[in-house]
Amino acid sequence: MQRHILACVDPSVYGVTVIDLTAWIANRLSASVELLHVIQRKDAVAARHDHSGAIGLGVKSGLLEELARIDQAEGKLAIEHGRAILADAEVRLRAAGVTEVKQLMRHGSIVDTILEREANATLVIIGKRGSDHQFAPAHIGSNIERVVRASEKPILIASRGASMPSSAVIAYDGSASANRAVDRVAASPLFSDLPLHIVMAGKDDDSHRVRLASAITRLPHATPHIIDGSPEKVIASLVESLGDTMLVMGAYGHSPLRTLIVGSTTTAMIRTVHVPVLLVR
Amino acid sequence: MPSIASLRREWLSNPVGDILAGIVVALALIPEAIGFSIIAGVDPKVGLYASFSIAVITALVGGRPGMISAATAAIAVLVLPLIREHGVQFLFAATILMGIIQIIAGFLRLDLLMQYVSRSVITGFVNALAILIFMAQLPQLIGVSWETYAMVAGGLAIIYLFPLLTKAIPSPLVAIVALSVLTIFGGIKVNTVGDMGELPSALPYFFIPDVPLTWETLQTILPYSLTMAAVGLLESLLTAQIVDDLTDTSSDKRRETKGQGIANFVTGFLGGMGGCAMIGQSVINVKSGGSTRLSTLVSGLFLLFLIVVLGPLVSRIPMPSLVAVMIMVSIGTFSWSSIKNLRVHPWQSSVVMLTTVAVVVTTHDLAQGVIAGVLLSGLFFASKVQRMFKVESILSEDGRTRTYDMSGEVFFASTDRFVAAFDFKEVVDRVVINVSRAHFWDISAVGGLDKVILKFRRGGAEVEVIGLNEASATLVGRFAIHDKPGAADALGVH
Repeated sequence: MQRHILACVDPSVYGVTVIDLTAWIANRLSASVELLHVIQRKDAVAARHDHSGAIGLGVKSGLLEELARIDQAEGKLAIEHGRAILADAEVRLRAAGVTEVKQLMRHGSIVDTILEREANATLVIIGKRGSDHQFAPAHIGSNIERVVRASEKPILIASRGASMPSSAVIAYDGSASANRAVDRVAASPLFSDLPLHIVMAGKDDDSHRVRLASAITRLPHATPHIIDGSPEKVIASLVESLGDTMLVMGAYGHSPLRTLIVGSTTTAMIRTVHVPVLLVR
Repeated sequence: MPSIASLRREWLSNPVGDILAGIVVALALIPEAIGFSIIAGVDPKVGLYASFSIAVITALVGGRPGMISAATAAIAVLVLPLIREHGVQFLFAATILMGIIQIIAGFLRLDLLMQYVSRSVITGFVNALAILIFMAQLPQLIGVSWETYAMVAGGLAIIYLFPLLTKAIPSPLVAIVALSVLTIFGGIKVNTVGDMGELPSALPYFFIPDVPLTWETLQTILPYSLTMAAVGLLESLLTAQIVDDLTDTSSDKRRETKGQGIANFVTGFLGGMGGCAMIGQSVINVKSGGSTRLSTLVSGLFLLFLIVVLGPLVSRIPMPSLVAVMIMVSIGTFSWSSIKNLRVHPWQSSVVMLTTVAVVVTTHDLAQGVIAGVLLSGLFFASKVQRMFKVESILSEDGRTRTYDMSGEVFFASTDRFVAAFDFKEVVDRVVINVSRAHFWDISAVGGLDKVILKFRRGGAEVEVIGLNEASATLVGRFAIHDKPGAADALGVH
């Protein structure tokens, strides 16, 4: 089967890393690439600062025309901008040796568009944050969590300016989604010649060792680690010590409601580590 | 279950704009609620409670974020006879039943019927509504002192000229405040809101309407409830369409239908009259930057705050200032381009629009106007389509076979022309009717084909029908009699 990567590019600082990671993976998997840029409409209704509340002759058609004009002017700019981004991305990909590249620009919400387009993709690559969020450094884009929760496909989240991974760390907690992550890594040629580390947070006792052993049987070449501490800290420090690596983990095992109350390990991990994170549902 | 993300989008995508817009809208709700309570012959609190409750509930359960629903002119003008003959408790009961009917309509997907309401009918509906709102202001304008006229004119001047100065604060609010200050400190004698009836001083509470639970009660309120439900849904779905267009987003019409039902059902128990979405106020909302559920919710809550906390002040608002606001709403609701278009559009659509307006203005019932408009536009459509029908025929060289070539639409309106297109007096051995480019739409069309074939047969000709397309063939196969035994005898019976 021909592998296919859906890469989401935007004008943010993560865009470049998304393209480099896409090139790296596309070359290793000899996959085709679809470059996706989504034009999100700014809310023209909110853009008008008119609280006069007076409605007069022809207000409905007049208002409709005005809103359409605002949207049209912004839309034209956004399309020009999007074309430039996609063209740059394609040039960069081809320069890196990727041959099958398609460009795609769509109107709509980022989340809905990705879900629409991912059907025939093996992997979705997206920046850690979108272009709207350049101010809060330790924050992940609001779209990422929604995409990951709703998506059926593995998603690779690019961090800023990361170099290409020379190893991979698999976060393992024995859960169903973590086991799927292990299976995925075992099956994928992407990881065939990378040094693998598999890490579990907790006391180095029998129960943890037994659980980890089941993962090791499927990944015989991986180096096992059992480190005491909270998952976020343990995984982050291992990743830091390895340098150029990537993190593979099962994503969002819990319901949105529970996450709202107790927070999510997945979100915390994406936020704290500064390497690409591959999320497997 | 809606996701957290969609909840956030529907509530918090633009909180500042929504809250401001909600406040502006609340101010525009007061005149309509008070004005139409008076027209319906009930205390202003019936309309104000209704506006609060309907706005808050539709914000929570409606299908069109950013649309404003409250006690409306369209419903108020319907219920006057009911209140006059049976009292206000029957109005509450009718409102509850109206809600139940709308919820059922939601489950039956009656919102889909909107696709049969043509653009001309909608324009007529909007214009009729604007005229109703304007006419409702006339009692405040007839036989009153010159001060009243001066204040209405001054109010309109402030509303339309103040935005040239600044658009940061709502000009209807400026007009209301300025005219109130003028009457209170200038000692001008005009009607005030307090003169019109009791204003609420407390929160609304739940109670069961004091009506006998009998068959007679149901018979009394059911016709009113049905009309109220129909008019309410028409205006709501139409307004939803307008807000859809303005914001370039889509809405869930089925959820809106049920949401309107729930809102009216609950409002009846709170001592409020029925309501629906409001075109004018929804446009004000969008124009002021409101597009989410938050602005609708704020409008309802702020309205309640105004009337309960600032009640004593509200009762001193001069009626002319509210009349000015309602004239503004009426002007904003009216489709002025439709007058310009009267000369440009096909005469049929102008007739449909004007008929809708005329029926509503004479009956004060928007539902009857829409029914008249829909019937008329259906007739016009049928008369246009029946012209799309053509027959050509050729006689074979030996003069024994006649081939008729039919094309176009055959249905009830064109059946007579279909039958008349054949020459039954001509003596031929064989008749071929090629209908490959024609479509038989209904039983009348099939009946026409039967008639033609049997007439030819009785004249001694063999008839062959070729090229019945699939849809026509099923209909012909199921309902035609010419191919069934005893066909020739059956013709005599028809």
